[in-house]
Amino acid sequence: MGEAKRRVDEFRRTSSEVENHLIDELSAGKINRREFVRRGTVLGLSLPALSFIASACGGDDDGSATDATDTTGGGPQAGGTLRTALISPSGALDPLTVGDEGGLAVLGQSGEYLAWSDDQLMLQPRIAESWEPNEDGSVWTFAIRQGVTFHDGTPLTAEDVLATIEYHLGNESNALSALTGALSAGNTKLVDEFTVEFTLDAPNGNFPYLLSSDNYNVIILPKTYQGDWESTFIGTGPWKLDTYTPEVGVTYLKNPDYWDASRVPLADKSEVKFYEEEQARVLALQAGEVDVLSNFSVAGGESLLEDPSVTLIEIQASQHRVIHMRTDMEPFTDKRVRQAMALTLDRQALVDGLFEGRADLGNDSPFAPVFPSTDPSVPQREKDVEQAKQLLQDAGKGGGFSIKLESWQGFEIPDLAVLVQNAAEEIGVKVDLQLTDDGAYYGNFTYGGSRWLDSPFGITDWGHRGVPNVFLGSTLKSEGTYNAPHFKNPEFDQLVADYVAAFDLDSQRALAKQIQELLLEETPAIIPYFYYHLAATKSVAGVEPTGMGHFDLSQAGFVT
Amino acid sequence: MGRFILRRIALALVTLWLLSVIIFVACEVMPGDVARSILGPTAAPETVAALNEKLGTDRPVLVRYGDWMAGIAQGDLGESYAFRRAVDEMIGSALWNSAKLAFLAFLLVVPLGILGGVTAALYRGRSVDRLISVGGLSASAIPEFVWAVTLILVFGIWLDVLPVTAQAPPGSSVLTQVEYLILPALCLVLVLFGYLARMTRAGTAEALDSDYTRTAVLKGLPRRTVIRRHVLRNSLLPTIAVVATQTGYLLGGLVAIELIFNYPGIGRLLVRAADQKDFPLLQGAVLVIGIVYLVATLLADIAYAYLNPRIRYGRAVG
Amino acid sequence: MSTVDELAPIVVHDSARESRQERLRLVLRSKTFLVGAVIVAFWVFCALFGPAVVPDDPYADDILNKLQPPSSEHWFGTDRLGRDVFSRVIVGARDILVVAPLATLVGTLLGTVLGLVTGYFRGVVDDAIMRVVDAFLAIPVVVIGLLALTALGPSRVTVILVIGIVFTPIIARTVRAAVLSERELEYVEAARLRNEHTPYVLFGEILPNVLGPVLVEFTVRLGYAIFAIATLTFLGFGVQPPSPDWGLQISENWVILNGGYWWPTLFPALAIATLVVSINLITDGIARVYER
Repeated sequence: MGEAKRRVDEFRRTSSEVENHLIDELSAGKINRREFVRRGTVLGLSLPALSFIASACGGDDDGSATDATDTTGGGPQAGGTLRTALISPSGALDPLTVGDEGGLAVLGQSGEYLAWSDDQLMLQPRIAESWEPNEDGSVWTFAIRQGVTFHDGTPLTAEDVLATIEYHLGNESNALSALTGALSAGNTKLVDEFTVEFTLDAPNGNFPYLLSSDNYNVIILPKTYQGDWESTFIGTGPWKLDTYTPEVGVTYLKNPDYWDASRVPLADKSEVKFYEEEQARVLALQAGEVDVLSNFSVAGGESLLEDPSVTLIEIQASQHRVIHMRTDMEPFTDKRVRQAMALTLDRQALVDGLFEGRADLGNDSPFAPVFPSTDPSVPQREKDVEQAKQLLQDAGKGGGFSIKLESWQGFEIPDLAVLVQNAAEEIGVKVDLQLTDDGAYYGNFTYGGSRWLDSPFGITDWGHRGVPNVFLGSTLKSEGTYNAPHFKNPEFDQLVADYVAAFDLDSQRALAKQIQELLLEETPAIIPYFYYHLAATKSVAGVEPTGMGHFDLSQAGFVT
Repeated sequence: MGRFILRRIALALVTLWLLSVIIFVACEVMPGDVARSILGPTAAPETVAALNEKLGTDRPVLVRYGDWMAGIAQGDLGESYAFRRAVDEMIGSALWNSAKLAFLAFLLVVPLGILGGVTAALYRGRSVDRLISVGGLSASAIPEFVWAVTLILVFGIWLDVLPVTAQAPPGSSVLTQVEYLILPALCLVLVLFGYLARMTRAGTAEALDSDYTRTAVLKGLPRRTVIRRHVLRNSLLPTIAVVATQTGYLLGGLVAIELIFNYPGIGRLLVRAADQKDFPLLQGAVLVIGIVYLVATLLADIAYAYLNPRIRYGRAVG
Repeated sequence: MSTVDELAPIVVHDSARESRQERLRLVLRSKTFLVGAVIVAFWVFCALFGPAVVPDDPYADDILNKLQPPSSEHWFGTDRLGRDVFSRVIVGARDILVVAPLATLVGTLLGTVLGLVTGYFRGVVDDAIMRVVDAFLAIPVVVIGLLALTALGPSRVTVILVIGIVFTPIIARTVRAAVLSERELEYVEAARLRNEHTPYVLFGEILPNVLGPVLVEFTVRLGYAIFAIATLTFLGFGVQPPSPDWGLQISENWVILNGGYWWPTLFPALAIATLVVSINLITDGIARVYER
């Protein structure tokens, strides 16, 4: 072990303050091995180095509850054509404007990102080989991999990365939603042919996520790119375009010149077929018309959960529902009323009933259990009708009241709404449901023009993110653009600002604890669960989906 | 006859213009933001504003209507907001798909319906009549998407003899395409049979009861001849009426079936366009369907006028 | 001359009224009519007294007991939220028996009036109105429904209005066609010669004689109304959860048919089918009597 320790010490000597701190946390047992590795990848350390350090310094696996790889026996074989059922893209396949699940998955097949945010929320280097922050996280330097070529043969250099980022920043791209406040146009610099430097608007400890597959618009494009991605599907990924039939699907051929020889696809061909309805996708898998179903919900795919011929892939994720209560409107101005509402729900029953157990309990804060920075020691809120009634009494509403619950008819939201309605009845609160379509509920996404942002009581769906920053910022900060509960709490604002800037896991977690406790106390919204991302395959192994909705088929193949 | 047709065409054009106004106004009234629907919930407000400006959605109503009309005059239906492809190309392929399905369904249901209706009328009041009438009604009373899933379950999964989607791979032969379209066509047959059989039965019964038929039979003409020559022609009238009025339903109303069978038809296109506030696509599709529908009704009216004078027997007055 | 003219109307009216009474008697004796009437009466009973009679609260969820197959405890099994399907089907009769007929009635009333007016007056009035009617006819039902519901918001009243408006053109066309042939007949001419007011001619004379097709249209449209509500619900509009409306139940539960969970879908579907069929049996009974 002496040799190992020597090497670790040598590594420490050349490492930054932050990286050393991370190793300290591991040695002190404050974080476990999995979190150490994950945090390390964010900081730009290589996986082999991290694994080595982890085993040298001790630290246990936390025996994570989720299994991202499927369990069919025997390895996947080479050859054949993989067929995948994907939800139809709802708009043009343009990296600037894609904003839906179908579109982003297509972008990620032939396109590639600087880093890949995988099912464990770890960042795996792709076009970027490594990355490094400066002392306070306000400047990040990315080393670009050499030997990467686009599908048309042109080699990739840092110029292409620069051009792509500036293209998005300068063209009102959909990627702005993630980059605004973090990186502005003109602040990206070429250091040399294979190095890019980003000067951020403010220190950000999670910046690499913003250029990873989580920010699905930013596939790296050639610097000569002018538009019309649909005609070439240009990228550097393991799959290259064979044919594209609008409304029907895309067929890909494997890219034998892919820069990572160990990840050249096993299968020869990949057919991604578009199905608009979930029911059609589920039926297609059952009938054997496709081999892979990249994403399905428990509500629509009950039959798959019990089917012995189907292999399930379950990924712990951060997708959730927010049941907001307007803190500036009766009857929810008094926080005791809000707490009372939160106490009526039997969350475990919701998880078992709505998701067959495939979800984590939510504790009324955006800190999902899947985030490493979440503090698991904060006590979980449970159903307590007596206390709820008492709180209502104390707030002067012992006689109950009537309120309208607004949302839209999608996913399991109608079921959740009915269950909320029934639960509220137990404390004398009469809930009326108003469920329309998403267009009517979301309106034009601005205060005064959206039921989501104007209603006193509503349910909103949020998709998966790799880090909770978006959930904390835009939805709960005083100046947030999507602050449905109209929550204005200066202490909260400060805590969130500190959290975003925080670097090491220790401080992030300490701040998270404070935020979680504050939100439990104030309860501007009820967040009852975080449900898993589910995928299914038949006779295929090696599919790698992510909570975001991407799926990597390069390691997938048929099994007997 | 010529003047009749010309007059009808002129009226149809007026109707079309009214249709364009109605659908345009309806789109105006819809709440929601165009660019927001396309970009999704997480897009930044500046991005949304920029796209709205690029698409021209903030221009005054009359300007946009004028633009659209001017485009149509030149045969250009514009570009889809969401997909940025030519509207006429998207509508064309969707319409063709729906037409194929509708045609197959008609091919099956028209002979079945006429046969059923005539049989029921001939054996009026007996069990055959009951069976056909009540059976047809019950079948059409069950929503088409319930039929769709049931048929898929039975034939697509349990028996595994037919595909569960309706879209055959590109370049398939006609026979393969029919194989893929059989299940959705069957759903349509189940839903339409009842109505068609009932109308045919009513028309046939009326013809059978009429003075003309009685006279013919009394005169000694064999019943079969009477039926073939006079009654059947009378049965055709309801069929034509049904076909014409159902064209609109078949082309635009089959959304449920198109969604379950994953078929890229015009119904699905319409609903998605309305959902996404993709106005050029929605308006173009409604106009095109309108044209098809008006042409169908015009043809039906011509056929009706041709057949009707010959078989006006005068009803039994009650 | 004048005495004969004065006598003539009385004779005509009497025989018309008599034959109507005769017909009513025949209808009530028809087996078809009776079977249909009994079934409809059963559902009306459910609509009126359902909540008092059912074994379980149709709204009470029991999520850990979801999707139980039919048993002695739950005759029709339980649905996705653990609610008793039998209770929901019984209580659901109320929604459909209120919304669908009202919607059809609105459409029939408006359509009949339009059909009478355009068929009788012809000329410019007819042309202008029928063009607008045709324009509406050419728009697919689904689009009108979606647009109207998006603009007006979901509620029972909106659904009734939308479906009523959608049906009006179709019914107007049918009634107009019938009026076109009726107006040539002698009794209309006779009424005009008597200088009867036009509304009387339309509603007193012509309307009773086109009642047959109107009734047929009404029942057929009723079936379509139920259909249209179910389809609109399937697409995400219309009736709100947790309403036990049959169409809503089907649209909520059909997605799990392929998992072998047939009971939450089958029983509401059968309920719809029996109701539509029985209504048609009633009109069949009436129509057969008119046929003679």
